[in-house]
Amino acid sequence: MRSNRQNVIGLLFASPWILGMGIFLFYPVISSLYFSFTSYSILKPPVWIGLSNYQELMHDEIFLKALSNTLIICAASVPLTTALAICLALLLNTKRKGISLYRTLFYIPSLVPTVALAVLWLWIFNGQYGLLNEGLSKFGIKAVPWLTDPSWAKATLIMISMWGCGNAMVIYLAGLQDVPQSLYEAGELDGASAWQKTKSITLPMISPVIQFNVIMGIIGSLQTFALPFVMFPGGQPARSTYVVAMYLYDNAFLYQRMGYASAMGWVLFLATMILSLVSLRLGDRHVHYGGGA
Amino acid sequence: MLSKQQKILLTKALQLGALLVLAFLFALPLVWMVVTSLKPLDETMTSPPKWIPDKIQVSNYSDAVTYGSKELGYIPFLRYAQNSVLLAILCITGSVISNSLVGYAFGCLEWKGKRWLFALTLATMMVPGPILIVPLYKLFRDFGWIGTFRPLWVPTFFGSAFNIFLLRQFFMAIPKELSEAAVLDGASPFGVFLKVIIPLAKPALTVVAVFTFLWSWNDFLGPLLYLTDQRNFTVSLGLQAFQNQHTGTPWNLLMAASLMVIAPVIVVYFVAQKAFVQGISTTGLK
Amino acid sequence: MNNVLPAVLCVLLGIACACGLESSQVSVSKTDRIEVQYWEKWTGEEMEAMKRIVDKFNASQSEIHVKYLSVSGIADKTLLATSGGTPPDIAGLWGDQVVQFVDLNALTDLSDLAKDAGVVEENYIPAYWSICSAYGRLYALPTSPGSGALYVNRQLVPPQYASPETFPKTISEFNKFAEQTDRRDPSGKLLVASFMPRDGWGLWNMPYVFGDGFLQDGQINVNGKDDLEAWTWVKSFTDRYGVTETKSFRSGFGNYSSPQNPFLSGKLATYADGPWFSNYIRMFKPSMDWFAVPFPYPDNHPELAGFSTMNLNTLVIPKGAKHAREAFRFLAFVQEQKNMEQLCMDQQCNSPLSNSSQKFLTSHPNKAIALFDKLAKSSRAVPPVPLGIRAQIGSEVGNAVDQMELGELTPQAALDQAQSRLVAMWAKYQQQVLGK
Repeated sequence: MRSNRQNVIGLLFASPWILGMGIFLFYPVISSLYFSFTSYSILKPPVWIGLSNYQELMHDEIFLKALSNTLIICAASVPLTTALAICLALLLNTKRKGISLYRTLFYIPSLVPTVALAVLWLWIFNGQYGLLNEGLSKFGIKAVPWLTDPSWAKATLIMISMWGCGNAMVIYLAGLQDVPQSLYEAGELDGASAWQKTKSITLPMISPVIQFNVIMGIIGSLQTFALPFVMFPGGQPARSTYVVAMYLYDNAFLYQRMGYASAMGWVLFLATMILSLVSLRLGDRHVHYGGGA
Repeated sequence: MLSKQQKILLTKALQLGALLVLAFLFALPLVWMVVTSLKPLDETMTSPPKWIPDKIQVSNYSDAVTYGSKELGYIPFLRYAQNSVLLAILCITGSVISNSLVGYAFGCLEWKGKRWLFALTLATMMVPGPILIVPLYKLFRDFGWIGTFRPLWVPTFFGSAFNIFLLRQFFMAIPKELSEAAVLDGASPFGVFLKVIIPLAKPALTVVAVFTFLWSWNDFLGPLLYLTDQRNFTVSLGLQAFQNQHTGTPWNLLMAASLMVIAPVIVVYFVAQKAFVQGISTTGLK
Repeated sequence: MNNVLPAVLCVLLGIACACGLESSQVSVSKTDRIEVQYWEKWTGEEMEAMKRIVDKFNASQSEIHVKYLSVSGIADKTLLATSGGTPPDIAGLWGDQVVQFVDLNALTDLSDLAKDAGVVEENYIPAYWSICSAYGRLYALPTSPGSGALYVNRQLVPPQYASPETFPKTISEFNKFAEQTDRRDPSGKLLVASFMPRDGWGLWNMPYVFGDGFLQDGQINVNGKDDLEAWTWVKSFTDRYGVTETKSFRSGFGNYSSPQNPFLSGKLATYADGPWFSNYIRMFKPSMDWFAVPFPYPDNHPELAGFSTMNLNTLVIPKGAKHAREAFRFLAFVQEQKNMEQLCMDQQCNSPLSNSSQKFLTSHPNKAIALFDKLAKSSRAVPPVPLGIRAQIGSEVGNAVDQMELGELTPQAALDQAQSRLVAMWAKYQQQVLGK
C-alpha cells in the first residue's frame, strides 16, 4: 500500500512537468485534435465536419503512398541505426589512445544542422562523380543512380539516417557506465569470451537504454522531415521519398488545409503509438531494470 | 589454435581497424566543411571533388563574421552569438533541474497515477510538432510573449518528455538498495535525490545538459516563429543570411559560419564526454 | 554539501542569464516616428539592395520609420502572425501566393490607396500587374520580377546555331538542333545533352508552349491536347537518351548555385532560366561564352511564340496591420521608377515597369536584359496559375511526368490521374477555403 505521504512526494517531484503539460501542451494538443474534425485554414475559423478528414485520408492515394514510404524508412532505419549505435558505443567504451577524439568525431554528424549537411550528401551520393560511386567503381561496381531512381532514393535516405546515430550512441555510452565491473570480472572467471560477455552481460544490462533508443528512433523516423524535405523537394522522383511529415506540412501551410493536416498528424500519432507498444511488448521480456521496479 | 595473447591482440587489431574505417566515414562531413570554408568561392563544390584547395583563403572567416554588418550597422554574428549563449545557459539550467526532479519521480518513487502519467508523457512525444504550431503560437501570443525570448526558454523549466524518459531509464537502473540504505540513515526523499541519485546519475545528467545545449543552439523553428527583431536573432537563424534568392550562395562563407556555429558545441561535447564515462565505476560505490 | 553549492550557482547563473536576456531584448525602439514593420525573405546581398531603398525612404521624410526584418519562411511566418493578430505592416510575399492569401482574407485591398497615390495599371507590364491582383482588385505591388528565356553555351552548339539569329525558332528545328548537339562517348554514355526539358527554371509551364496550359476557360485542364503534346515532347528526350542513361546523367547534376550546375559544368548546351542567372555564370564560370534566346514555338503556330514563365516578388499589407496607410507610402516609394530600377538592377532582375530607362537596359549586369524585358511583355508570358491550389497543380503534374518518364504510366493515364485528383482538390478547396 502506498501511503498518502508517498503520493504527495511523488506528485511534488513530478509537479514541474505536470504544470508544464498543463500550460504548454494541453491546449495545443486538444486544439489540434479538435481541428482534425474540422475544415480549417488557419485564418478562417474552423468548421466542424465530423470524421470527413479521416475518411478522406483512407482514400487519399498520396497519403497512403507517403505513409508506406514512411513505414519502409522506419522499418529499415531503426534496426540499422540501433545496431550501429550499439557497436560504436561498445567500440568507444574502451581505454585507448585518443578515445576522446573518436567519441567526438562520431558525434559530429549529429551536431551539424541538416540544411548544411544536405549539400554534402547530395555531393557524396551524386551519381556521376560522387564519392560513393567513385569508391564503388574501385570494386568494379557500376554507378548507382542514388538520387534519381525511386528505390535507390529511399535507400539513400536510410543510409544517411545512420550517420545521425550519434545521439543514440551517446546514450548507450552513458548507459554502459552503469554496468558493474564486478559482473565482467565474474564472467572472466567463468572463462567467457568477449562476445559471450557482451551478449549475456552488457546487452541485458543496458536493455532499458536500448528500449529508450528504439522508441525514440521510431518516433523520430516516423516524423522525419528535414532531410527528405531539403534533399528531395516534393518527394521526387515520383514521390518515392515523400513522407507523411512532408505531406502534412504541405497541407498545413501550403494548401491551407490545417484540419486535414491535423487529422494526418493524429493518424501518424496512432501509428507511432502502435509501433511503440509493439516494440515495448517485444522488448519487455528482455528488458532488465537494475532497480527491479 | 591461437594463444590467448594472440587472440586478444587480434581482437584489438580488429577493433582498431573498424574504428578507423568508421572514423573516416564520420569525419567526412567535418573535413568537407573545413576544406570548403577555406576555399575561394569559385573552387567550392567542384567536380570531381577537390580536397586540397589551390589557394587557402582564411579571410572567409572574418568575412563570414562581418557579413551584412555594413547594412545593419552592427556585427550581427556577435550579437546573435550573445543571444544564443544566454539562451543556452538558461535552457540547460532549466532542463537539468526540472528533468532530474521529474525523472526521479518517475524512476525511483512510487505514487498513485505514475504509470498513467508516464504513458501520457510518452504519448506527447508522438504528436507531430507541425500540428501544434498554430495553437502554440496563439498561446504565446496570449501570454504576450511574441517578439520576446520567453517562448524559447521558459518551457525548459517545466521539463521535456524526451529528457524525462531518458533520466527515468537511467534512474531505474540504479540499485534500490542504495537509496534504501540512505533512507535507513534518516535521509528525506529530497536528501536521497540530492545525495544518492544525482551523484550516481552524473553521466546521464551530462547527456541531458549536452542535448539541451545542442537543441537550444540549433533550434531554428522557434526563433524563426517567435522573434521579430533582427537584433534578437540567434546563430542558427543567422545562418540563413547566406542563402540568397537571386545572387547565389557563398558556400565558403556559409561553411565558415556553420563551423564557427558548431565549434562551441564540439568543444562542449569534447569536455563533457569525459563525464559520460566516469560514472558509477569511479564513484567507488561498486 | 558538495552538490548544493553547484546547484545554487547554477540557479544564480540562470537568473543572471534571464536578466541579461530580458534587458538585451529589443522590442520597441525609441523614436517619435511611426514604426512600420517590414518582413522580407531576402538575406545577404539582396537584403542589402532592399535595405538601401529602405534607408533612402527613411531619410526622405520624418514621420515614418520602416524597420526591415529578414525572415526565411516568409509565407508561413506571415500567415501565423496574421492569424495571431500580430502581423507585420508589410510582408514580402511570393507573387504566386497572392491569390491564396486573398482567398484566406489575409490581405488589405490596395486598389483605392493605389489610385490615390497614382500607382496605376498602365505603368506596369500586364503579366506582373495581374499577379498582384485577384478578383479584379489590387492586393500587392511588385518588387523584383523574373521572366524566363533560354541560355545557350556557344562552345557546345554546332556553329550554324551559335548566334541568337540562327538559333532554332520552332520545335522541329529545335529537335534537329538537339540531335546534332548531343554528344556521347563510343560506349553510348552521354557527355553533353542539348537540353533537358525538366532541368531549368520555369519549365514546369511546358504545356503553355503548346497552347492553353493548365487552365482552359478558367477550369483546371492538365490532360488536354496541349498538355499531352507538351509532355510527350518532354518525354521524347528521355526516350532518345534512354531511361537509365537519363537517370544516371541527371544524377550527376550538382547544386544549382555552384559550378556543378549542369549548364555551368558543360553538361547541358542550353538551359532555361531568369535574368539573374547571368550572375551565376559570372560567379562560377566567368569564362563561358553565352547568349540568350526565346523558347522555340510549335511548328505552324507563330502566334504561340514568345513563351516565358513569369514570377514576381511582391509587397503586401496583411489584414490587421497597425499602420496600413504609412506602409503604403513605403510601397509607393518603391514603385518610383528610379528606386524600382535600382532595386531590380542590384538584385539582377528585369523591371516590372512597362517603361525602362535607357540606363537600366544598358548598364544592367545581364547583357541580355532587353530580351528578358521583351519576353515579360510578350502575349505568351505565363504568370502563375491564379488559383489557390497552384502548389497542388505543380506537385501533381510533376509527379505525373515523373511517372511517365519512369515508364510507370502512359502519358495519357498519368495526366488523367493528375486531372481527376486536381478536380477533387479544387472542389475541396472551393468548399473548405472559399466556403462555396
